[in-house]
Amino acid sequence: MVNPVRNFSGSSNPTGIGLKCKPAAAAGPEGLWPGGSSGIISNGVKLKYILIALILIAIGAGVSLTLFQSEEKRVRKQFHLLSEGVSKEPGENIFTMDQKIKKIGSLFDETCEINIPAHSVSGRLTRDEITGYAARGRLHFAELHLKFYDFNIAFPQEGGASVHLTARLTGKTTTGENVEEAHELDCLLKKIEKRWFFDRIEVVEVLKK
Amino acid sequence: MAVNKGTRQFFLPSLTPAFLIRAGCVALLAYLIFGHLLTPFRIKGHSMEPTYQNGGVNFCWRIRYLFSTPKRGDVVFIRFTGQRVTLLKRVVALEGEEVEFRDGRLFINGKELNEPYIHYPYHWTLSPRRVEPNSVYVVGDNRSGLMQNHFFGQASLPRILGGPLW
Repeated sequence: MVNPVRNFSGSSNPTGIGLKCKPAAAAGPEGLWPGGSSGIISNGVKLKYILIALILIAIGAGVSLTLFQSEEKRVRKQFHLLSEGVSKEPGENIFTMDQKIKKIGSLFDETCEINIPAHSVSGRLTRDEITGYAARGRLHFAELHLKFYDFNIAFPQEGGASVHLTARLTGKTTTGENVEEAHELDCLLKKIEKRWFFDRIEVVEVLKK
Repeated sequence: MAVNKGTRQFFLPSLTPAFLIRAGCVALLAYLIFGHLLTPFRIKGHSMEPTYQNGGVNFCWRIRYLFSTPKRGDVVFIRFTGQRVTLLKRVVALEGEEVEFRDGRLFINGKELNEPYIHYPYHWTLSPRRVEPNSVYVVGDNRSGLMQNHFFGQASLPRILGGPLW
């Protein structure tokens, strides 16, 4: 068996990979990787390309994952903003209330389908109707907190996000009654000019009377 | 005070590989048992009184309905939302049966159901309705409150997590 590798910078080993990795290979054919002298170069080259391919795959996966996550984060952020808008601290002033109602309105599309069977709310409501409902609803509470859990976000189509989650409402009414409710929600969000808007909110009816 | 070597070893064991393996096995076993077989629950609310009291603790036996379906009279855990919020209710009717409340009496397929677990009088009235396929009709044992404020109705079988351990 002939060892074509003469030295580290020799013309017969332009890549030099095999020798750099395995200096013992220079000692003779016994020290080579499996496959003999020609295997040094071919295996080395293969390894190099495999490594490059793996790095590229990892970068690609990372980039796509980051982009995907950011989209998911944007969807989550809409729920966070809705939670902020709905929540009410004791002694909230009119200015804050007005700001929050406006914030709620800005999260919805021109119309949004809302189905809450327990409260007999069903149908496609305009943004003004939604803010009206929200404003009237908040008036009944001295303190109100809305939190979302168990997010399950999917993107079934371009520009649309389907979110399945738990909404937990806690607070105290103006008459001093404690309120604690949890509901399973099915939501649909629509992407318009890089922003996500609520297009459908439905409370899942677990027990149908 | 001199502490017995065995006692010290029990409370402050050396972190040997054998100990770590044992601790790992115990943790895994606890996760499997209490996470998937016997899930602990704290009862919040009065809808199942006097059978189950508010504040009580129980375990959901998750494999109870693995090879069978709930029967009339069974108390079941129903997944309400997420994995943490569940309802504890009693099955009163099965799929295809007709349920009706007439001034505090429950009728199944037109026949009054004997409910020895009801201890508080109630006056609910609900027109007849048929239980959908793959569902059961569940109600709480304490129906003394307003019907509108009580969670009851038909629940799909996949939502039934299991039954209480006791």
